[in-house]
Amino acid sequence: MQRILYLVQKEFRQIFRDRSMIAALFFVPFIQLVILGNAITTDVTNLDLIVTDLDRTPMSRTFIERFTTTEYFNLVEVEEDYQALRGHLDNGRAKLAIVIPKHFQRDIVTGRHPDVQALVDGIDGNSAGVALGYMARIAEQHQAQIIRMDPMLGRPLREARIVHAEPRYWFNPELESEVYIIPGIVALILLIITVFLTSMGIVREKEIGTLEQLLVTPIRSMQLILGKVIPFSILGFVEIVVAMGFIYVIFGIGVEGSLWLLFGESAIFILTTLGVGIFISTISETQQQALFVGWFFMIFAILLSGFFIPIANMPDVIQYLTYFNPLRYFMVILREIYLKGTPLHYLLPETLAMAGFGVAVFSAAVMRYRRIIK
Amino acid sequence: MKPLVSVEHFSKSYGEIRAVRDLSFSVRRGELFGLIGPDGAGKTTTMRTLVTLLRPDEGTVTVDGMDVRKQLKAIRAITGYMPQRFSLYPDLSVEQNLRFFAELFSVPRNELTDRMQRLYRFSRLEEFSTRLAGRLSGGMKQKLALSCTLIHDPVLLVLDEPTTGVDPVSRSEFWEILRELREQGVTIVVSTPYMDEAMKCDRIVIMHSGVALAHGTPGELINSMRLPMYALDERDLVMNFSRIEAASGVRSVQSFGDSLHITTDEDIDEDRLSAALEQTLDRPVRLRRIAPSLEDVFIALIEQGTEHAE
Repeated sequence: MQRILYLVQKEFRQIFRDRSMIAALFFVPFIQLVILGNAITTDVTNLDLIVTDLDRTPMSRTFIERFTTTEYFNLVEVEEDYQALRGHLDNGRAKLAIVIPKHFQRDIVTGRHPDVQALVDGIDGNSAGVALGYMARIAEQHQAQIIRMDPMLGRPLREARIVHAEPRYWFNPELESEVYIIPGIVALILLIITVFLTSMGIVREKEIGTLEQLLVTPIRSMQLILGKVIPFSILGFVEIVVAMGFIYVIFGIGVEGSLWLLFGESAIFILTTLGVGIFISTISETQQQALFVGWFFMIFAILLSGFFIPIANMPDVIQYLTYFNPLRYFMVILREIYLKGTPLHYLLPETLAMAGFGVAVFSAAVMRYRRIIK
Repeated sequence: MKPLVSVEHFSKSYGEIRAVRDLSFSVRRGELFGLIGPDGAGKTTTMRTLVTLLRPDEGTVTVDGMDVRKQLKAIRAITGYMPQRFSLYPDLSVEQNLRFFAELFSVPRNELTDRMQRLYRFSRLEEFSTRLAGRLSGGMKQKLALSCTLIHDPVLLVLDEPTTGVDPVSRSEFWEILRELREQGVTIVVSTPYMDEAMKCDRIVIMHSGVALAHGTPGELINSMRLPMYALDERDLVMNFSRIEAASGVRSVQSFGDSLHITTDEDIDEDRLSAALEQTLDRPVRLRRIAPSLEDVFIALIEQGTEHAE
């Protein structure tokens, strides 16, 4: 026990010897939050829009106005012929084009269904989907309104009851994507700190040769491992506290649920990342190698966690794969606690899955480590 | 008294590579014992086995009667090991390094100040105690590394090429310290590729390609070489090397700076050798009879060893 304390003390001395390290500890979460929090946005605003109005009636103009009065669309041009419209989509001046057919007004008045064509630049599939959604909503609103207000329609129709769903979004009423992204950044910070610092901290001792020196002391391999993971875990927790502080100050988002639950879940989560860190150290001889393997692991963990891309949008095979990614569960848990204040008993399945992985990965890594240094 | 270290028929391979083959030697208590040989001789493998970092494939290796396979902890507690590469924490100070290793070895607090004073005295590092280890000169680093391996008062000190890459002044200072330690009763096993350092050992074992070629005191080894040896000053060393080698009665030729060392067959005396050389080179030569150095012995042994192997 005493020896572990000395190892931890030594590790902190080395960490704080490096002034730039302390700056990095505060700077890194700050930059990540500000940049990632604002950059990774799935909101679609100011989408460049081209309209071809083949009808040119009061009704088609009101329809176009509906688009221009929202912040989602930015009307670039109203074209009169179809070819010009295609050109705009090809050269990227517009992401979305709407073609209002001839006899738009007449068809509405006479009770037929005019078809409005929408052309979407599908390169950014996510934005395209969102844009279409907005468009459909606008069309629906428009329809509801013309039915009620149009004097040309008969009285019975005007009084028709239209069932209308009025959605209200909870927990993130404005549907701002940073609200969704930001708790995820807390997970990323914890992931980065624990995987990288652990693996590189151990490999560094290999690199400078001190590991050899440590191994001939009466120290046990378990003490050696604890001496490494304890300081880096503490650092990880300091980092998430710093990050949560920044989140509150910059974005005004506080933790809805229990802080202790959040810390407890974090502790379960880092079992996995510490294990991965230890494992990487057993297969790397230099810090560069450790960094490389660490990145390889993290890219997969992050992409398959639902951090940027909703898991439901992934192909089935990949979705099954995400069940083997502990970060997936931690993302859900963090968002639930952070934004909804969900208590533990609703998070039990995720917690248990994460704990299972944590214990398995950590003990496998420790066993491998002990076998290798013997 | 039983030897402190006993190595019997020790072999160790890394996959296909047979690093050490059937090595046997023993180290008495209080001895300064040298493992001598070029790179790849198996010195490091032998030393890492002594300090329980490697397990022997075959044979038995014991330290103070304890088997390196079984009693790892007990052996580590009485052994100090300094690996070939300098390995202290460059970002900790001299004193922090010393204290850290003292703590790992559970040196009692009340003894620590005393021991540190003693180590500072011989290493003369006290005035640098707050300096970061990474900012020390090569010789000072080496002394700090030695101090750290001595902090728990080991019975056996194992040093792997401690003076490789250290300047000549620091080297001789370092050996001075080793001799002091031996006088205090510490048993030392040291490896070195330098023959002048081998001469300073009580006993040595000469290793080459994983095999022990000879052991004994340096003096014994030199005397064991009964072959007559001559020095020949020669300006066109490179030009005439192979011609001299081919002359009748010449066994082997080694170049040492401006001269050649020639060993001959036992039945050849000085007159017959000079006659043979004069005939080969077609001019008068001046031979000097010399006593072989340890280096000559070493080279002769290696040549014999390779002949046997072939």
